[in-house]
Amino acid sequence: MNYVRLACRDLLRNPLRLTLTILAGAVGVTAFIFLRTVIDIFYFGAEAAQVDRLIVRNKVSITQPLPLSYYARIAALPGVTAVTHQEWFGGTLGETQKDFFANFAIDPSTFLDVFPEFLTTPAELSAFRSDPCGALIGEKLARRFGWKTGDRVTLKGQIYPGDWTFNVRGIYTGARPSTDTTALVFGYRCLNESPQLPKAMKDQVGIYAVRVDDPARSAQVAAAIDAMFDNSPYPTKTESEKAFQLGFVAMSSAILTSVKVVSTVILLIILLVIGNTLAMGVRERTRDIATLRAMGFRPSTVVMLVLAESSVIGFAAAALGVLAAPSLVNGFARLVASQFGQLPDNVMRGRTLVVSALAAVVVSLLAGIGPALRAVRLPVAEGLRKVA
Amino acid sequence: MSLEAVPAALPMVRLEGVSKTYRRGTVAVPVLEAVDLSIATGAFEAFMGPSGSGKSTLLNLISGLDRPSTGIVEVAGRNLAELDDRELSDWRAAHVGFIFQLYNLIPVLTAAENVELPLLLTPLSRAERRRHVAAALDLVGLSHRVSHRPPQMSGGEQQRVAIARAIVTDPDLIIADEPTGDLDRKAAEAVLDLFGVLHQELHKTLVMVTHDPHAAERAGRVHHLEKGVLQ
Repeated sequence: MNYVRLACRDLLRNPLRLTLTILAGAVGVTAFIFLRTVIDIFYFGAEAAQVDRLIVRNKVSITQPLPLSYYARIAALPGVTAVTHQEWFGGTLGETQKDFFANFAIDPSTFLDVFPEFLTTPAELSAFRSDPCGALIGEKLARRFGWKTGDRVTLKGQIYPGDWTFNVRGIYTGARPSTDTTALVFGYRCLNESPQLPKAMKDQVGIYAVRVDDPARSAQVAAAIDAMFDNSPYPTKTESEKAFQLGFVAMSSAILTSVKVVSTVILLIILLVIGNTLAMGVRERTRDIATLRAMGFRPSTVVMLVLAESSVIGFAAAALGVLAAPSLVNGFARLVASQFGQLPDNVMRGRTLVVSALAAVVVSLLAGIGPALRAVRLPVAEGLRKVA
Repeated sequence: MSLEAVPAALPMVRLEGVSKTYRRGTVAVPVLEAVDLSIATGAFEAFMGPSGSGKSTLLNLISGLDRPSTGIVEVAGRNLAELDDRELSDWRAAHVGFIFQLYNLIPVLTAAENVELPLLLTPLSRAERRRHVAAALDLVGLSHRVSHRPPQMSGGEQQRVAIARAIVTDPDLIIADEPTGDLDRKAAEAVLDLFGVLHQELHKTLVMVTHDPHAAERAGRVHHLEKGVLQ
């Protein structure tokens, strides 16, 4: 017999109530992990950003284009080691956004100089570069639709009118877990030289991605680029890749704030559920607690026993919640894949799991404080008179 | 045997001018009035009186569960007013064993674990605690019920487990509040026989509150309380 065993035996007085409390806590922990993961997803792009990369976009808005002619002028700037450009194509497999995935028109000759984390074989790269309408697809995208090298993929243009057919010349993988392998990229020439393209959209790109020789000089290079085009019809805004990605996150700040609030509310619900169970348990054991105190158990020992019970509930709820979370997150990932594109494999972070589990345990301990103090504030003589 | 042996010449319990008044809102309700009392070490004394006469309050004061409004309570040579709540807890753990009318056993613990509870407050090792528990349960004749939980035992057996728990730390003073109040005659007799053993063979000081004249007969002295006044 020891204090831990005593606390565990007290917990098991009402196994059904204990089970339901732990399950309620576990559901809360799972929901908390899920919501924190949703928040993490928003920041995924920013975390994958490289410190030596800058993004140049139209100063007015990301939706406004930049001239293709800027390429040579940016590339000639001191400190710039590589430049490439991208254009959001926004094509879909059918008429609707169902089975959505990201697709870009890129410059095959420079893309991998700026984004070396996209890996492909030399043979595939060569085939991609030599075919104006060649495409590289990410391995997760290839898995999703069962595509392979040699296949032809036709996308319906939502921005650029008409059907566009691309030849899959290779399947790229990621050098890092954070590398997005859910996209399709194709040669810019296929778009720019197509007779389908409206004349007004010719020789325009969405953004330039720039690599600098020294990340410490990024701000200087960014300022030089923006100064160069300051008085042009297409002024630029150059920022770090991370800032660029966070700009997208900021567009969803209201949603993110809501998700954060809801996740905090979930912690409060866990606190109330566990607190309620402990309060009931302590109330039912008023006479037993008074008996312990009559025998000489100090108030601090009784408080410790109640807190031990609450932490056991917290640990159990956290463990179950952490075990259940991957199923929920994976189910969610499958659900949203057709709407918003496939999520990266490692979308649920170990850090999120640890933080969530710790939060559950801390909240459980907090929930135990009230009942524990109530247990020791009642005079012993009065507690002994209580009949369960 | 006890942690701090009490010299035989000193009374185990000494109350001087003890009064206790409870507050019910703005109304002061006197429960005990100017009680003077001395209980010798090794004595077995009983308190009788109608409900509300202050018996249990007196017991609470003697055992350090409550504090008097006025007066001095000295037990085992110690003025309990000098002890803060924490010291009082430690003092009770070392000097007092409790026996309650409804046994007050922890229902989810076995008989052995219930008896072991007060020993958790001592520096004894696990093996030593087990030895003490076995001896206490043997004394009350329940060696065969060590693994049973209170709901699996009769009222008489539960009260014997409670007695084992009260004596397992070898306290100077045993406080019994209506120990036979919830028992049938046969079980009550068995419990009172055990009190006889504690008093006569182990020389424990027993203070008992009871409504039962048969139980009171076993005590060496019987005090009567009437409306908070010791007769």
